[in-house]
Amino acid sequence: MAVPGHRLDRMFNPEVVAVVGDKGPMYMWLQNNMPFKEKGGRLYSVQLDEKEIPGIEALGIQNFRSMADIPEPIDYAIVAVPRQVSPYVLKDLIANGAHGAAFFTSGFAETGEELGIKLQDQLTAMAREANFNLVGPNCMGLYLPRSGVRFNADAPVTDEGKIGFLSQSGTHGIMFSLVSAANGLYVSRCASFGNAVVLDVADYLEYLMLDGETEIIGMYVEGVKDGRRFFEVLREACKRKPVVVWKGGQTEAGARATMSHTGSLAAPQAVWDGMMRQCGAITTNNLDETIDTMKLLLNSKRPKGNGMALMAQTGGQSVSITDAFAKSGLRVPRFSDATYAELGEFFNIVGGSYQNPLDMAGTIQGSMDTLDRILRILDADPNVDAMAMELSAMFAARQWKKAPDSLDKTIDTLAAHQARSPKPFLVILHPAHEAEYVASIAPKFHAKGIPLFPSFERAAAAMQRVLAFENR
Amino acid sequence: MSFDTVLAQARAEGRTLLNEVEAKLLLKEAGVSVANTTLAKSRDEAQAQAEAAGYPVVLKVVSPDIAHKSDVGGVKLNLRDTAAVGAAFDEILASSKKAVPGANILGVAVQHMAPQGTEVIVGMTTDPQFGPVMMFGLGGIMVEVLKDVSFRLVPLADKDADQMINEIKGRPVLAGVRGQPPSDIAALKQTILKVSEFVEKHPEVRELDLNPVFAYPDGALAVDARIVISES
Repeated sequence: MAVPGHRLDRMFNPEVVAVVGDKGPMYMWLQNNMPFKEKGGRLYSVQLDEKEIPGIEALGIQNFRSMADIPEPIDYAIVAVPRQVSPYVLKDLIANGAHGAAFFTSGFAETGEELGIKLQDQLTAMAREANFNLVGPNCMGLYLPRSGVRFNADAPVTDEGKIGFLSQSGTHGIMFSLVSAANGLYVSRCASFGNAVVLDVADYLEYLMLDGETEIIGMYVEGVKDGRRFFEVLREACKRKPVVVWKGGQTEAGARATMSHTGSLAAPQAVWDGMMRQCGAITTNNLDETIDTMKLLLNSKRPKGNGMALMAQTGGQSVSITDAFAKSGLRVPRFSDATYAELGEFFNIVGGSYQNPLDMAGTIQGSMDTLDRILRILDADPNVDAMAMELSAMFAARQWKKAPDSLDKTIDTLAAHQARSPKPFLVILHPAHEAEYVASIAPKFHAKGIPLFPSFERAAAAMQRVLAFENR
Repeated sequence: MSFDTVLAQARAEGRTLLNEVEAKLLLKEAGVSVANTTLAKSRDEAQAQAEAAGYPVVLKVVSPDIAHKSDVGGVKLNLRDTAAVGAAFDEILASSKKAVPGANILGVAVQHMAPQGTEVIVGMTTDPQFGPVMMFGLGGIMVEVLKDVSFRLVPLADKDADQMINEIKGRPVLAGVRGQPPSDIAALKQTILKVSEFVEKHPEVRELDLNPVFAYPDGALAVDARIVISES
């Protein structure tokens, strides 16, 4: 148990999982959760439709025609039944002593229809009365990579996860889980919570804040039911670990009557922005910014100041990398006199430069010793708080393809620097004309924990966000 | 006059908007730096209060039925002697009655006309999702057109008030531009924090504007105030 005594602990660390109402030919929910069974979890199916049962049993899953026949309490159930049936399923779950369930079923208040609203109110009242942990409805539920509980068949099963993620949207929850993994970053626990009628963001956030396996937290949120409680839990969470908030949707101002100037200016997004800053949260606008920021939070040292040492391969890129970081509010300071003296001993200034930024391809000429020497000199410079380095697929891809060893040696040199340096370090590798090849080598960087970005702007924005968090 | 007395009186009269004199009195008691403002019910009272306040003075109509005072000719600025105050009192009453026939006019608010400072706005509103929130911004065009304002949830910590002031885009204006002296940031911060304390202590307050607050090189002064209370 990760957070003993917390009301969500059993559900977030399940030993017994039941899928209610899964259907062939895909049996999506059972298939998603086969890893849970393979890891020794007890995975049950509840299905009374005779047509579906043979397909379920063919998967090696024990099916029950009635939930009452399940011989033990369920830790987490996934419910995929028509909406009219959902109150009966909830009643059975409560009778079973189940700890919680995600209702994948949709068609509730989000439709705006009378029947949907009525059914949602009914579920809410039943769950509240029984103190039942209802996730959703209208959601993808939990993704627990350690346990093998999944909401998507491509989501990895792994013990490496350090990111807790919460999402009001099922799509964003799944996309985050998949795209973060493609960037070498893994989820510890994720909840897609949909309509949030019983458990709201703050409940999940509180769990992730206390969960020792979760080092950083991210969320996609459009709105919250109890704003004050969310504010208080978020503020506490931000004191303990970095929290990245991707606020989606321009919440409607509504036809709220106001008699004050202040009231007319208090647009919902402006109040959200102030609230998030007050808590010390990191704010982002989209998936990429969220993952970029997390990449630095998890894989790089934390910056002590905003002085960047910038290393590019050519003159044009030296200008562009400087523009990108300066526009993000970071400084590109003069190096110390000692640095200039040391670089001056060997730097090739014909077609190169060792001001900050460094224009260095002509000096390095493929020598890892020279690259290492430059990295050590900049690392020792007291004016430098963090380092960003361009690698160029435009120049190097041909050579790396011909001699893959040269790429590996470059990565090893950078990884060794990152391991010994107390300063944040990141690499920008634009896909250039070699998108497919660059995508194929990115995992080599991820495996060594080197933060890799596709553009100067994205790298600079991530650095700026982490710095703002450090200075919160 | 205590908060509860003002509240009870406003509610007895079915008002949710406190008048300027009431609002300023409560804020002054709460430690907010506001311009001394008194209610004159007659021409004579207005002249006596003007003498006491010191010239030049400002006169403004006080009526629960008149929300936009300058639109009805209910505001007279820069009055420099007792004759001007007497004439202004008569004119305000006449034009207000003409513009809003049957308006319940309680009198005229008299205050010393404060020297112009850098205009800022300090306010509070009740957000449907988050409850009471404070707002800060530069006054005039910066707030009207650019909506260059910052928000924090009540109650505010010291750091929150600092950040509210520092994160507005027009922040350099407060440091002094074009030969203007820098504004007293500590005094602005105190204004924000005192208002935050005030609204935290009085959940009946739903909205509040100090608009404008004049920021000076030494101190800050709210020259107009508006408080809206909840219905019950």
